[in-house]
Amino acid sequence: MKTYKQPSTVGRFGEFGGMYVSETLMPLLLDLDKSYKKIQKDKKFKKELNDLFKNYVGRPSSLHYAKNLSKYINGPKVYFKRDELNHTGAHKINNCLGQILLAKKMGKTRIIAETGAGQHGVATATVCALFGLPCYIYMGSKDIERQKPNVFRMKLLGATIIPVESGSKSLKDAMNEALRDWIKNVRDTFYIIGSTAGPHPYPKMVRDFQSVIGKEAREQILKVEKKLPDYLIACVGGGSNAMGLFYPFLNDNKVKIIGVEAAGRGAKTEETAATMTSGTPGILHGSYSYVLQDNDGQIKEAHSISAGLDYPGVGPEHSYLKDIKRVKYFGVTDNEALKAFQTCSKLEGIIPALEPSHALAYLIKAFKNKHKNKVVILNLCGRGDKDLFTAAKAIGFDADE
Amino acid sequence: MNNLDSLPKKKILSLFMTCGFPTLNHSKKIFNEMLSHQPDIIEFGLPFSDPMADGPIIQEANKLALRSKLSTQQSLDLIKYLSKSKNNTSFVIMCYLNTVRKFGLNKFIKNIKNIVDGIIIVDLPFEEEDAIKKSLSKNDIHLIKLISPMTDKKRSQKLLKNSKGFIYYISATGITGSNKLDYKEINKNVKSIKKMSSVPVLVGFGIKSKKDVIDISKKTNADGVIIGSALIQKYFDIKMDFNKYLKSLKKFIQEVKI
Ligand SMILES: Cc1ncc(COP(=O)(O)O)c(C=O)c1O
Repeated sequence: MKTYKQPSTVGRFGEFGGMYVSETLMPLLLDLDKSYKKIQKDKKFKKELNDLFKNYVGRPSSLHYAKNLSKYINGPKVYFKRDELNHTGAHKINNCLGQILLAKKMGKTRIIAETGAGQHGVATATVCALFGLPCYIYMGSKDIERQKPNVFRMKLLGATIIPVESGSKSLKDAMNEALRDWIKNVRDTFYIIGSTAGPHPYPKMVRDFQSVIGKEAREQILKVEKKLPDYLIACVGGGSNAMGLFYPFLNDNKVKIIGVEAAGRGAKTEETAATMTSGTPGILHGSYSYVLQDNDGQIKEAHSISAGLDYPGVGPEHSYLKDIKRVKYFGVTDNEALKAFQTCSKLEGIIPALEPSHALAYLIKAFKNKHKNKVVILNLCGRGDKDLFTAAKAIGFDADE
Repeated sequence: MNNLDSLPKKKILSLFMTCGFPTLNHSKKIFNEMLSHQPDIIEFGLPFSDPMADGPIIQEANKLALRSKLSTQQSLDLIKYLSKSKNNTSFVIMCYLNTVRKFGLNKFIKNIKNIVDGIIIVDLPFEEEDAIKKSLSKNDIHLIKLISPMTDKKRSQKLLKNSKGFIYYISATGITGSNKLDYKEINKNVKSIKKMSSVPVLVGFGIKSKKDVIDISKKTNADGVIIGSALIQKYFDIKMDFNKYLKSLKKFIQEVKI
């Protein structure tokens, strides 16, 4: 394979990606793209970001050999890339720090973001507190209900939460509203998108900021195993934690890569969020990529027990990697994820978020009694604190007792 | 013949309405009422599940239209049916790109050829437009350009090259139905657009009343206005009594025809 070099200068991953937005946003995206290109060469920016990664986030995150889980699976050696140990409990902070530094450089004075699980909202509110910028978080009212701990966190951090009542009242609609806010407040506002979705340059920029995960994992695994991993596994919502882990390995053809989507009640049902398993190419939120849509191109509502994966689209780079067959994508149901959530907690003493629980479920299912002597890195991209109420309810445990 | 090529020189009136709102049958009556006033342009909004560039009123109209599972084909059939009483009015479709893509560009054009004079694809920036523009122009359908206050001069120049029909100037940095109109800024930007292009410049977004229409005409160099949200808003103001709505629509259109 040729050296991987995506996207093109206009934000194309193969045919996917691009900038499909109204003329009110176009000049802003071009400006953002220009500024992003500039800071990529800026040593001071890099140093500032690395200092924050180290001292504020606690990077590098550790690479933990999950001995008990490996024994249980009776297959490969499983390592967790523990981005759930990051400050704020997920990988989202990596991207937020990068983007807020850029916002500062661009002289923007107001920050907006969308959130589903609330992890990106919390991470954005956190960096806004750190840098003293006003923060407005768009969140679907359905998600506000199921991610209460994060709602309170964001409020403590000084953010204003704007409930979104339109459409399915979840992540997709929160992003629509955030984009509308940006169109209205073009001059002073910076929109921190939380995943590798949206128009160019976001999918590239978010991937770049998150790729610290894969860079570290690569060094760490070479140190302990003296070789590259045989498999990488990560959950895919919009695709940022997955791209972060995958990107530095894309040129290593021997490393097999697996993305796990949320299939809700089943990839063949109407209640799914498995965009690449059940969707077709289309345009959502300014980007051409796989989406869940009907025959007329109306975007369908997604369903997943995990608010962070409950999105009918996916980042364009994943669509490209699927089509060139560099990455394979599979769906995991709500119930399978819930089971893995409990298995991991009991076996490893780590309560994972429901999002990476999907990746765990796939690992347990597909690697059971197989692939011995192989090495797997799984991105444990978030911790489960935020999901305790949702999980308790789904499992049938009365958390108020 | 393309009606957009013979628009009047001044005081052009363009009326926007979502197809299938609030239902397909009602929608027919609404468009018939609009047509009976012979406005210069009627813009047909094709409903989309995620109208990113539209404000709450048009969003609501989209939602109502889609509630009865209105298909793209039904919207295009409605436009075709109305074209019988089109006369000199220009027909323009306003939509999002995913609608056209999923329907198929060629099939889409086949359905609107000799019926529709222009099309505005809100989320199709000029960087991405080449293939679509070519197919449209072969069939004498103009791709209408949007210019926003954020579009700088260099970009405007590229955008306005070979523009046809009219230019849609977005009066407020905002989404459809935003409030404030800054006439000074509008005038400055419209003037600068007119230096670069000879097609009419219409001002849209946030025009709500007869007064706004007169002010645009008096205080700026624009050639006309586009009214959308204000037409739909009446339906909600009147608590969704359809007959009353039609009457208020009639009155409103008579007022804004200056
Ligand atoms: C812990 C965690 N993992 C994964 C995701 C999904 O996002 P992405 O696919 O961009 O990593 C989220 C989103 O909120 C999350 O909180």
